[in-house]
Amino acid sequence: MANALEIKHLVKSFGDLEVIKDVSLTADQGDVICIIGSSGSGKSTLLRCINLLETPNSGEVLVNGELIKMSLDKKGQPQPGDHLQVDRIRTKLAMVFQDFNLWSHMTVLQNVIEAPVHVQKINKIEATKCGLELLTKVGITEKADDYPSSLSGGQQQRVAIARALAVNPDILLFDEPTSSLDPELVGEVLKVMKSLAGEGRTMIVVTHEMGFAREVASKVVFLHNGRIEEQGAPSEIFNSPKSERLKQFLASNLEG
Amino acid sequence: MTISSGYFQMCEGLPGREGWLNFNLMCEKLPDLLKGVPLTIELVSISLFIGLFLALGIAMMRLSNNRVLNGFARGYVFYFRGSPLLVQVFLLYYGFGQFEFVQQSFLWPFLKEAYWCGILALTLNTGAYTAEIIRGGLQSVPFGQIESARAMGMSGLLLYRRIIFPIAFRQALPAYGNEMILMVKGTSLVSIITLMEITGIAKQIIAKYWTPVEIFLIAGLLYLILNFLVTQLVKYLEIKFTPYLRHPK
Repeated sequence: MANALEIKHLVKSFGDLEVIKDVSLTADQGDVICIIGSSGSGKSTLLRCINLLETPNSGEVLVNGELIKMSLDKKGQPQPGDHLQVDRIRTKLAMVFQDFNLWSHMTVLQNVIEAPVHVQKINKIEATKCGLELLTKVGITEKADDYPSSLSGGQQQRVAIARALAVNPDILLFDEPTSSLDPELVGEVLKVMKSLAGEGRTMIVVTHEMGFAREVASKVVFLHNGRIEEQGAPSEIFNSPKSERLKQFLASNLEG
Repeated sequence: MTISSGYFQMCEGLPGREGWLNFNLMCEKLPDLLKGVPLTIELVSISLFIGLFLALGIAMMRLSNNRVLNGFARGYVFYFRGSPLLVQVFLLYYGFGQFEFVQQSFLWPFLKEAYWCGILALTLNTGAYTAEIIRGGLQSVPFGQIESARAMGMSGLLLYRRIIFPIAFRQALPAYGNEMILMVKGTSLVSIITLMEITGIAKQIIAKYWTPVEIFLIAGLLYLILNFLVTQLVKYLEIKFTPYLRHPK
C-alpha cells in the first residue's frame, strides 16, 4: 500500500529567500507527525506546500501514491498542473488553521456542512446528520446555530476541526492550531486532537506544544532554516537530541 | 359624492393664500404630485437593477490583472464619479442627437426618448459608484476565509458564489444603502430633460401658480417618505443577513 503522504525534495522560496531547502518526508497511514522548530524555520510553509496553498518551486508531493501534477506558467514559474486534481486532493487533506478561518457569514453547522454539500455533493440531510455528529464529537453541539463570532477561540478551533473532519479526509493538516488561543483554552483543543490521533487518523501537526508532540506523535521532525535538522521518535528527539541546534531549541522551549 | 370630490372639499376648508402658507393649494396639488411617484420609483428601480450588474462587471475589471480592462474600469469610474450627474444627463440627451450614425442606428428609437436617456444616465452613474462599493466589499473579505475555502476544495465560481460574494455583499450593504438613497434624490435631475417625475411635476405646478415654497415642501416630503422606506429596507436586510454583527440587547 502506498504511503499516506510522501514529500520528495521539496524546495520553496519567496523571491530570493529560500524558505524550504530540499525537504523529504514520508507519513504512513495512522502516523502523527509533529513538525517543530523556531519561528521562521519554514514549518508552516512546508505544511502549506502539501495542499498547495503555497506553490513549491520544485519537488514532488504524493498523496496516497498520487502525484500532484505541476506545470510551468508563461513566466516559467511552477503552477498547479490540473486544478480539478488539486481541488479533489484538497478534500483528502483537510486543514486546520492557526486563526480558525471559519466563514463569518455562516452558522457553526453551516460551516461544517458547506464543503460536503457544495464540494462533495453529498445530500444536505445526510450532511447535516454527519455534521451534528461531528459537533458532538468536538463537544459543541449546543452552538450549532450560533455564528462563529459569538464563540470563544477554543470553541471556534473545535468547530474548525469538525469542519475539517466533515469532508472525511485521509490526512489532517494542523497549522499551529493552538497558537492563537488563550492558555486556558489550549487544553480543550489538544484533547480533541489527541482523541483523533487515538482513532488512528493520519495527522501532520505544526506545533509549539512540546507536551503534545512528546505524548502523541509517532514521529517528530525538527526543522531549522528550511532543512530537516533531526527527526525520529519523540523519545529520541526529546530525551537524546543529537544536534546542537535541537538541544538549544529544546532548552529554550522546555524550561519551566 | 365621490371620494375625490370629498377630498377637494376638505382642502377648501384649509387656509388659502391669505395665510403664511397656502395650505389649500398644497392640499389640492398633492394628488398631482403623487402621480409623479411611480415614475420616480421606476427610474430608481430600473437604473439600480441594471446598474448593479454593470457595477459588478466594472468591479471585476477593476480587480483584474489585465491592464486594458483595469484601465477601462478606472477611466469609467473616474469620469462618472468625477463629473456631475446633471452634466451627464445633458450630454446624453443632447449629445446623441448630434451624431448621424446614432440617429441611424437601431438604438435611436431608445436614445431619442428622454425616458431612456434618463435611465441610461442614472444607470451609468450608479454603476460607477456601486463598482467602487463592490470593490471595497470584495477587498475586505478576510484572506484567511478565502484560504480555508480553497483548502476545502473550493475554487473558481463556487468559491465566489458561496464565500467571497456573500461576505462582500454583507460588508458593502451599509454603503450600498447610501447609494440607493442618493439615487432616489438623483432622479430629480432628470426632470430637466422633460421627465414628469415628482420634481418635474412640481416645477410645472410652480410655473402656473408661482408657489415654489408650498409645492417644493410637498415634493421634499415625498422624497423623505421614499427614502424612509429605503432606509427601512436596508435595515431589514442588515438584520437578516448580518445578525452576528448586532450586539445582543
